Amino acid sequence: MSLETLEIWASEGLDICKLSPRSWEVSIDYFNSSTDVQRHLPSAQFISWTKIGKRLTKLSIDVAKSYFLSSPKSMLRIRPRHLDDWANLSSKLYKGTWKSAKLSSKFFEATPLLMEYISFEEWAKYAEFLNNLSKRSYDLAIDSLELSISLFEKLDNDSGEVINLLLDSSEKSWKDIKMIFETINAYMIEVEAFNRNQILNLSRKLLVTGNINPIDTMKKTSSIVSKINNEDKDLFFNMAKSLSTIDPKSCNDFFDVVPILLEKINFQQISSWHSHGIKNSENQNIELINDFFTLKSKESREIIDSLSSSIELSKVKDIIRNYSLALTGRQIEVKESSQLAEKNIGWFGDELATTEGSTIFMPSIVNRYLSKEENFGFLKVISTHQIGHIEFGSFDFDFKKSSNFFENLRINETINKKMLSNDYLTDLSKFFDIFNDKKLSLDIFTIFESTRVDSHIFSEYLGIINIYTDIRDSALANRPQIKDLPVRESLVEFLIRISLGQNSNLYVPTEYSNEAKKLRHLIKTIASNKATVEDSAEATIRAYHILNEIKNEQIDEDEFEEFNADETNDQLEDENYKEEQIIQSLFSEFNQSNDNLDESSDNPENFESNELDNEYSSPQDIDYRGEFKPELSQLLSQMEYSENEFDDLDTNEPITQEQLEEMLKNSPEIEEFDQNMEESDNSKLSDVIENLMKELSNRDIENNQNDSGTLQHVDEDGGPLSATEDGTFTYDEWDFRANEYKNNWCMINEKVMPDGDSEFYKKTLNDNSHLLFQIKKQFELFIPEMYRKQKRLIDGEEHDLDAVLEAVIDLKTGITPDEKLYWRRNKHERSVAVAFLLDLSASTAEAIDDTKKSSDEWGAPDDPVEYMAWLRSRRTDGIRRSYKRIVDVEKEGISLLVNSLETLGDTYGIYGFSGYGRENVEFYTIKDLDEKFSEIIPKRIDRISPLHATRMGPAIRHTITKLSEVDTKSKFLFLISDGRPQDRGYSREGVEKEYAVHDTRQSLIEAKNKGITPFCLTVDKSGHDYMKTMMEDFSYEVLTDINMLPKRLPQLYKNLTT
Amino acid sequence: MTNEQNFVQQDIENFHITEEPFYVSTSDEVEIFESAYKQRVPVLLKGPTGTGKTRFVEYMAWKLSNSSIKKNISNTEKLPLITVACHEDLNASDLVGRYLLDANGTRWIDGPLTRAVKVGGICYLDEVVEARKDTTVIIHPLTDHRRSLTIDKLGTVIDAAPGFLLVVSYNPGYQNALKDLKHSTRQRFVALEFDFPDEEREAKIIMHESGCESEVAERLAKLGSKIRNLREHGLEEGASTRMLIYAGKLIQDGVPERRACQVSVTWGITDDFQIQRSIDEVVTSIFA
Repeated sequence: MSLETLEIWASEGLDICKLSPRSWEVSIDYFNSSTDVQRHLPSAQFISWTKIGKRLTKLSIDVAKSYFLSSPKSMLRIRPRHLDDWANLSSKLYKGTWKSAKLSSKFFEATPLLMEYISFEEWAKYAEFLNNLSKRSYDLAIDSLELSISLFEKLDNDSGEVINLLLDSSEKSWKDIKMIFETINAYMIEVEAFNRNQILNLSRKLLVTGNINPIDTMKKTSSIVSKINNEDKDLFFNMAKSLSTIDPKSCNDFFDVVPILLEKINFQQISSWHSHGIKNSENQNIELINDFFTLKSKESREIIDSLSSSIELSKVKDIIRNYSLALTGRQIEVKESSQLAEKNIGWFGDELATTEGSTIFMPSIVNRYLSKEENFGFLKVISTHQIGHIEFGSFDFDFKKSSNFFENLRINETINKKMLSNDYLTDLSKFFDIFNDKKLSLDIFTIFESTRVDSHIFSEYLGIINIYTDIRDSALANRPQIKDLPVRESLVEFLIRISLGQNSNLYVPTEYSNEAKKLRHLIKTIASNKATVEDSAEATIRAYHILNEIKNEQIDEDEFEEFNADETNDQLEDENYKEEQIIQSLFSEFNQSNDNLDESSDNPENFESNELDNEYSSPQDIDYRGEFKPELSQLLSQMEYSENEFDDLDTNEPITQEQLEEMLKNSPEIEEFDQNMEESDNSKLSDVIENLMKELSNRDIENNQNDSGTLQHVDEDGGPLSATEDGTFTYDEWDFRANEYKNNWCMINEKVMPDGDSEFYKKTLNDNSHLLFQIKKQFELFIPEMYRKQKRLIDGEEHDLDAVLEAVIDLKTGITPDEKLYWRRNKHERSVAVAFLLDLSASTAEAIDDTKKSSDEWGAPDDPVEYMAWLRSRRTDGIRRSYKRIVDVEKEGISLLVNSLETLGDTYGIYGFSGYGRENVEFYTIKDLDEKFSEIIPKRIDRISPLHATRMGPAIRHTITKLSEVDTKSKFLFLISDGRPQDRGYSREGVEKEYAVHDTRQSLIEAKNKGITPFCLTVDKSGHDYMKTMMEDFSYEVLTDINMLPKRLPQLYKNLTT
Repeated sequence: MTNEQNFVQQDIENFHITEEPFYVSTSDEVEIFESAYKQRVPVLLKGPTGTGKTRFVEYMAWKLSNSSIKKNISNTEKLPLITVACHEDLNASDLVGRYLLDANGTRWIDGPLTRAVKVGGICYLDEVVEARKDTTVIIHPLTDHRRSLTIDKLGTVIDAAPGFLLVVSYNPGYQNALKDLKHSTRQRFVALEFDFPDEEREAKIIMHESGCESEVAERLAKLGSKIRNLREHGLEEGASTRMLIYAGKLIQDGVPERRACQVSVTWGITDDFQIQRSIDEVVTSIFA
């Protein structure tokens, strides 16, 4: 340092000291730091450093102190030429208050740290940011400074975009600054630097141009970016950028839409959808553009649809349903897997295909392949497999039935003696009880049964083989390597691979190659198209016997050998000996397990788990085969088809909770459940049991009332009733047991439906204007049918050529000719009277397509007092509901029909019925037969709502009375119902159920005898069973999809009356 | 001016069935028909379309022609079969006969029913419910002990020849109440119910009629039975054997299997798009 400089330095120091009373403190710092600073600065700059210091001291002692204190370290980072700017920008924060002084000092002090991560230019911007903030709040600025330091450190030399964003945010939305820091910390640190900068840049751009909150942008985009691969990221940012220049708001919405779109289509496809939108935007206003990118516009959705290769179950449900109906001849419902999982009755897979014997459950969306065809193909394959379980009888297992290919070890006496002691709900439970290791037996049974179903499908449905094999192959490709598994599991995997069609490159543990041969033999036997579920069961016993003896130990890769696929018959020779052995071992195992249960019932697996073994775990799922729960399914389908197919079981006995518990505790399917849930506390299991009980009772109504003994024979008491009041009528009821009528047994209480609001009617007509148009057209079409050309009249429009010729001939042959020589377009007198009879029972309150709600809703108490209270509470629930009920659809159907009937001019009446007990059958007139249509009818339709029970007989009889009073050529009684007739003492237990059906049938016969044609339309899917009895000889239709009602009703009407 | 040909009646020989029609019986209907013929009890054939009602009558006409039953009854050589497809404008004189104008005046032409009555053949009224109500008046006396046909115009009553038998068919359209057979009519017949044959028999029929491979026939039969599961659930009638035979014929002629089924089964059976899709899926499951 030159002398001159030295002098200046010293005098400056003294000046500083003298400036103010406290400035001596500053001068200490000045002198202290000078040595270090001087080393980094040339003399000229060093002098200006001292001068700046002096200036700052004049400004504020604290600021100056920080300046000097931070200088030595700062000089390491700052180029000399930036010295001025540094000091100026920092000191600019000082506005004369102590808070600003604090900020400014802090900023000086932070400089060395900040400069470690950011350049001077960035620092300058950052200073500006702080300055902006300081105008709002010094505290905020100070906090931000602290946050920034830790943030910049994390961002590691790449903070430029952050600073840009901060700077703009400080102008546009300073209040969010802290949130922005948090968001960056939470979401952005993880993101790769390049993408992070893109996001920050985008956020800033949207903030500046569209005033869109950068926090949102960052959150949304970072979550999108985290989900997509690298190439797509570039694509995504390009899309976002081009959109942001057109309309920032749409760009923001675009971020919301992308995740939704990604479920359906891939990024390339999103990109082409996007460019469509961009192209359109050239000559559209902002709102239309926004509609496009928020999927509000139809065009936009159509583009997505056409691009999308995924198949949504909801769109193809009907096709699959009819497909299953065609294949099996049974009414099989199609639902989303999640709907079954929600019920919590033992199934868990949200996206796995499965069945419980009467419904097949499919994933809600299939998006495995690039084309729609392939995705549909997959859906078809998985549904065919599930249908196969039903069609080829997986759940029809009968313990006593012989198998086709094996000696029946099940029916062996030693085993049976042991089994007799227990009471089993299903035959499959009984079967699985043979085994000690339930999990292993279920796994084996699943493999065999699926193999059997697959091969049945292969032999029955040649057309599906190609795609089926493809899917099977890809399932095979995803299997774990045999060699990686412990021995027992490797053999199970070996079985699976064979069942998936693999024939070569199979490996088995060298030690067990003989066992592998036996296993292969078993599975090949099962793969015959003559094999039954009983064969699978027998094969399971044998395979179980083999596998259970094999320790599940981990062995080296070189202890495996390639399986020799050569078919040998040598294992058949010792078949007899082997079977003997199997029985012996099963028997002893069975004994053991029983003993074991006595001692420590908690863990029956105890005694067999060898310490050297790895615990056996079930093989990985095979995706297209889905979940297979034979035992539960058999239980449930047993309920569904009880009377016809499970004669040997005493189904009249209702299932008790205890029985169910017993079954589930032993069931291998629930062991699996325990694993899935990880924490297998009893409450979880009891939840399942409770849900299952509900499910079972829903399926079998008679079980619902299993403890309502007090109510059973109420109606047997008392005698005939007599109608004394106005509007009451008595009718006989048919007792099929006595084969005679009970005189005046029921009382009809006829009322006119009170008025409601005509809004419903109008709304229905509006909402269904298209359908309404169709119906009207249909109806109009058959008006001309009524104007038929009538021939052979005495007088008319013109001569009938045929008749005239005949007359001429007659004259010539000397016969008196006919006088009827004319024809005329005559109005063929259409003379039809129809009475619509609506079932207004409480069950019509059930929600459609909303299984959760309906199961909660429908739980009528059995006690009459409670029942009435329950009804009242339901009725006061309010008329407006967010979900649609069966009765709403009935109302819609009637509204539409009424409107069209008016064009036709037929006589028609609409009645509703319900009631509770024989003394009080409520009969509501909505429109009487001789009543003209007026404004009041829609109002009455509005008040159609679910009431009480369903006593059909008297209501039908009363309608007959009404119809007999009308003078038309043909008369029809159109009954619309949602289930079997039921009322107190009319259907509660077994015989009463029959009683109701027979009484209803009798009333219909009465109608027929009076020249009235009855027709019954039911929306009860299980309607076929009792309808067959009830409607024998009469026409009826079971509507599988209630939503079809409004459309179907007019069609039926037309068919019936023309 | 007169075109003679219009007035010439076809020779009764043209109504003889000379070659054995292919018919596979499904139960005892052949024996029942034989007994009915022997006892001269009229026969009513019930069943959906395409279940072989017409073919059955043809077959029986042929079979009876060559059987001892017929020889005991009448001494004519063959048993003619006269078939009338009924429609809604068909009236009594269409069946009985009428006078036609002639250059010389008029000439009487026997209707199909009259001819059958005279020569002693089988008269088969297909879809009899469709005919006008006045036809019942002439049917009734023919179907009870009188066995006579009244011809108003001629003022005569003809007794039926010993070989005569009236056979009618009808398809119980279960949703049409206005078109039903009257009880006074239906109770004059013994009724034979026709339904679709089982898969095995149907395959045999398809194979014979279409000349396709047995394996194709089996699969067509399977398709038929699967589609029939949809009856009453969107389909008004099940797939008829006839349809399946058509499909078999097309396949035999080289049309790809799936396409053949589509044109002859799927599209023919319904116009409902949803159901078509479902049937298509069944077709593509069964046929490659």
